Amino acid sequence: MSGLQWWCSAQTAAWTWSPRPFPGVWLFVGLLVGLYWLLGRGAEGSTETSVRPGERRSRWAWFGGVLALWVALDWPVGALSGYLASAHMLQYLLTALVAPPLLLLGVPGRAWDRLAARSGVVRVLRFVTHPLIALAIFQVVLFYTHLPSVVDRLMVTPLGSFAIDTLWLGGGLIFWWPVVAPVPTRPRFGYALKMGYLFLSTVLNTMPYAFLTFGELPFYGIYELAPPVSVLGAREDQQVAGLLMKIGGGLVLWTAITIQFFLWYAREGEAEGPAPAA
Amino acid sequence: MNPTSQHSIRWTAGRAVRIAALAACLGLSSNACRVEAPERTQAEERASATGYRGILLADAEPRPDFVLTDVNGDALDFRSDTEGKLALLFFGYTFCPDICPVHMASLAAVKRDLSIEEQRRMRVIFVTADPRRDTPERLRDWLGNFDTDFVGLRGSEAEVDRIMLSLGLPAAIRDTAAGPDYAVGHASQVIAFPPGDGFRVIYPFGTRQADWQHDLPRLLDP
Repeated sequence: MSGLQWWCSAQTAAWTWSPRPFPGVWLFVGLLVGLYWLLGRGAEGSTETSVRPGERRSRWAWFGGVLALWVALDWPVGALSGYLASAHMLQYLLTALVAPPLLLLGVPGRAWDRLAARSGVVRVLRFVTHPLIALAIFQVVLFYTHLPSVVDRLMVTPLGSFAIDTLWLGGGLIFWWPVVAPVPTRPRFGYALKMGYLFLSTVLNTMPYAFLTFGELPFYGIYELAPPVSVLGAREDQQVAGLLMKIGGGLVLWTAITIQFFLWYAREGEAEGPAPAA
Repeated sequence: MNPTSQHSIRWTAGRAVRIAALAACLGLSSNACRVEAPERTQAEERASATGYRGILLADAEPRPDFVLTDVNGDALDFRSDTEGKLALLFFGYTFCPDICPVHMASLAAVKRDLSIEEQRRMRVIFVTADPRRDTPERLRDWLGNFDTDFVGLRGSEAEVDRIMLSLGLPAAIRDTAAGPDYAVGHASQVIAFPPGDGFRVIYPFGTRQADWQHDLPRLLDP
């Protein structure tokens, strides 16, 4: 087994089920925990420690997002992602589709208030997280980080693997921003459009899914030539990866679509007011 | 200019920038397909020069003449029993954690893509370099995980080493002092002997299924 690595990457040594430490992952998770504390502080100079309504729920969301990232990046999933395309895909789902909306939902309300007061940052965010731009950025990240030449080149070093994970998380945050984040406000991007946006992304991930599932040969050299971990051959492993992308990704996106639908329904109900008494 | 027209211009400009950004991103996506194409592996470079993605040894001697025992206890004469067929010869061991299972899995996967007739005209022969631990039963079971047609051969360590040396391969190194889970150092290439002999092609570790898929039909009908 090779020496200590700061971040998970592809290995030529045979896989073992002995846990391995990845200090970079632990540091990253620790920083996210610390970031929550920073975001949750009161206004500058204030020592406010009170918890606003809904803040407890947001805390659960934030730490759910951190947990998803931790599972994705640390041993065993992170380490297996250097051996199996299917583990790499699971890592992608957790990093780009599960953790970002939870982190955004977990940002404390006062942090959003502070952000809204910064007009320059809001102007940049308004552009970058415009639904069309966000969708395009996410699709480009998705596409490039699944190209065989990119995966084979980057996944063999901790730095390259870190770059892929960072791109996934960054792309995921941008993608989910217009759906989840309250700043900048987008009154015209209502529930119906959010549902359409999410639906469109389920359609767009069909291309890489088809690419992986119906590919005749293994696309990724690192997974084809990796020491075997399971009874799955390289082709079957790649098919599982494609199915995970479609079914797992679809599950996350359709869950979000369903939530948007019920939020919309509830809002409509509120607007109509209580039913008149008989 | 009145405020309404100013607003309209700003709105149109903003939309144009977004559309341009979107187009640029999508353009990058479509260009990505072209990024893939020009990249050529060493194997592809070899194929453009020799026709084979493996390493062609044009002035090779005829296939080696040796007799070893298969998993059923029957003698197999490599030269006469594989005559007229494509023989893919590999020396490894079943406890191998990386190279051997990857080679066998690749060959099994690509073999399944061939027609039945083509499959009949090829033999994959795995000679164990670790006869102490690779009993006939273990060898049969292990190879059966990949393809039940793969032939497993055993001989004494000295016999196997002699055959490897005769093929220009280093003898196996068995680190038996390391305990029962010892590793065996062995040559990592598959040697292909096409039906008519006259040349052989070497496939080092790192040979992809795409390379085998390219070369196998050419090796079957050189």
